[in-house]
Amino acid sequence: MALLEIQNLNITYKTDKKEIRAVKDFSLNIDTKDSIGIVGESGSGKSTLAMGILKLLPKGTTKTTGKILFDGVDLLELTEEEFRKLRWKDISVVFQKSMNSLSPVHKIGFQMKDIYRVHEPDARDEEVRKRILELFRFVNLSDRVYNLYPHELSGGMMQRVSIALSLIYYPKLLILDEATTALDVVTQGQILDEIMKLEEALDLTRIMITHDISVVASSCKKVVVMYGGCLLESGYVYDVLVNPKHPYTQGLLNSFPDFIGEKKDLRGIPGSIPDLSLEYKSCIFTNRCKKAKSICFEKIPKIKTFPNEWNVACHLLGGFDGE
Amino acid sequence: MKKYIWKKVLTGILTIVLSFCFTFFLIRCAPGNPIKVLAGTDNPNPELIEHLTTKYGLDKPISVQFINYLKNVLKGDFGYSYISNESVTKLIKERMFPTILLTLTSSILSLVLGTFFGVYAARKVGTGIDKFMCGLSYIIDATPGFWLGMILILIFASTFKILPTSGMYDIREDYQGIYKALDVIKHMILPCITLCIIQIPLYFRMARSSVLQIMSEDFILTLRATGMKENRIFNKYILRNAIIPTITMFSLSLAFTISGVALIEIVFAWPGMGRLIMDAIKNRDYPLLTGIYLMISISICIVMIITDIVYALMDPRIRYE
Repeated sequence: MALLEIQNLNITYKTDKKEIRAVKDFSLNIDTKDSIGIVGESGSGKSTLAMGILKLLPKGTTKTTGKILFDGVDLLELTEEEFRKLRWKDISVVFQKSMNSLSPVHKIGFQMKDIYRVHEPDARDEEVRKRILELFRFVNLSDRVYNLYPHELSGGMMQRVSIALSLIYYPKLLILDEATTALDVVTQGQILDEIMKLEEALDLTRIMITHDISVVASSCKKVVVMYGGCLLESGYVYDVLVNPKHPYTQGLLNSFPDFIGEKKDLRGIPGSIPDLSLEYKSCIFTNRCKKAKSICFEKIPKIKTFPNEWNVACHLLGGFDGE
Repeated sequence: MKKYIWKKVLTGILTIVLSFCFTFFLIRCAPGNPIKVLAGTDNPNPELIEHLTTKYGLDKPISVQFINYLKNVLKGDFGYSYISNESVTKLIKERMFPTILLTLTSSILSLVLGTFFGVYAARKVGTGIDKFMCGLSYIIDATPGFWLGMILILIFASTFKILPTSGMYDIREDYQGIYKALDVIKHMILPCITLCIIQIPLYFRMARSSVLQIMSEDFILTLRATGMKENRIFNKYILRNAIIPTITMFSLSLAFTISGVALIEIVFAWPGMGRLIMDAIKNRDYPLLTGIYLMISISICIVMIITDIVYALMDPRIRYE
């Protein structure tokens, strides 16, 4: 059974004048021990999706509909208090700006201990300390970090602290929201390696949100391509990134250089991301799609499934009627 | 930490010495001089003027005056007021206590109340009560303190006759012990309320905006994601971070009020430093002025050093600079 099943998820930001549909009709299954990379441009709804799963979006100004089944329980149906019991214990997250992910005036050890006590209020000091130091060793940090303040660490070290913190209860699902974006490639590589090792050891399921396809290629099993709040293509990394079916994925890959083989021209996708406050009755990518046919302007494409859990939302595949 | 404190203390001493020298010369640069005040303006007698000038040593070059004064100060002698002929030390001593009593009480009260209201408004941000409190804070901020003082006297002293109009003691009675203290408290209520009302909006806005700012920080999101209860996040993390700017504010306003409550003191005839300063300036009473300025710079420096130390204790980021 899938660990996380997202069904027809819609997330809308409401302002006085307009509604911005940041995530549209998004469905995705994530199995236990999967590692899924969600890629897309800025503003494609990746982070909103993550915040939606974590139920961290401001309640007054957002509306979330659909289903997010986690272990068979719909997270959106849970009350805040019920979901609070799952937070961090089952689903934890590493945010992009790790430098600010802890309070600047409390020691790191103190905060981690405090966070551990959220769900284990009776834990003894010694026990908690042992657990935290064990996690530090996991992510290659020295013990003395326990007694330091966040500002005394470098960006890379704080990133490790964040990762250690996210693993404090050995959660089932770990969401990394641009967690390595701010790091240099060497540190990023190290941390990705560590995360993959931890995954083996702890049976983690991981969602990795990034706009860096190389990160997904090197560290994830599956990939989801998002654009304008919609899922355009998903499947195994070696299928989707090697032989993309969707014109957008193809364009995205053309804008990255290859490490091996001949140098070829890098090409961006002309145009910019769609205005999400408008309602689209066509494929969201049509306006920038070089291969667009008349049908693309008329209908929203249905998701077509290909062998090997390969899903693509494009009219051009599998016959023009698309039904 | 020890090194940090030493550095702050040394900086403080240097500041005091520099400001002492500056004020000594600056006062003497100001137009007018105490001899003219003493001799009177109607029909000044040139002989009297000459006599007084020699008596107070004002005929000597300013550098000699400075060195003489410095010698005396190092011996602990601040001289005598030209006008009242009383010892400067005694005059300041008499006035220091009432001012410190008034400013410290009102500053601490405003700090506590203002911060409390600010935090409350921040928790209710966007609601009617928050908007009301913000609006009110601007109105009060625009109210002159001396006017407010007079209105309070009008209401509570003249109309309802429940509080005394002015002064620090009831001069008709000779209370002792606890009754004396109660009498002082009774006299202090109105000036204290006035000072509080004009200071609370500052703390209110500072606390409100800094709580709001901290609430939008990334680490609050992390803590929410961990499932920590909102109240705990607020009491343990938001408040602790948000209180830091308030400390700066407190020390700045404290340093200011030690010398700056003159208007309020005059309205309530409070026997404090404020009026002493005003009179000394008006009369160009050099020894008294220099003494007062020295006192003020010392007290400001002490407040600043304490603030820096408290600040360092509260915020580890500035501790080891």
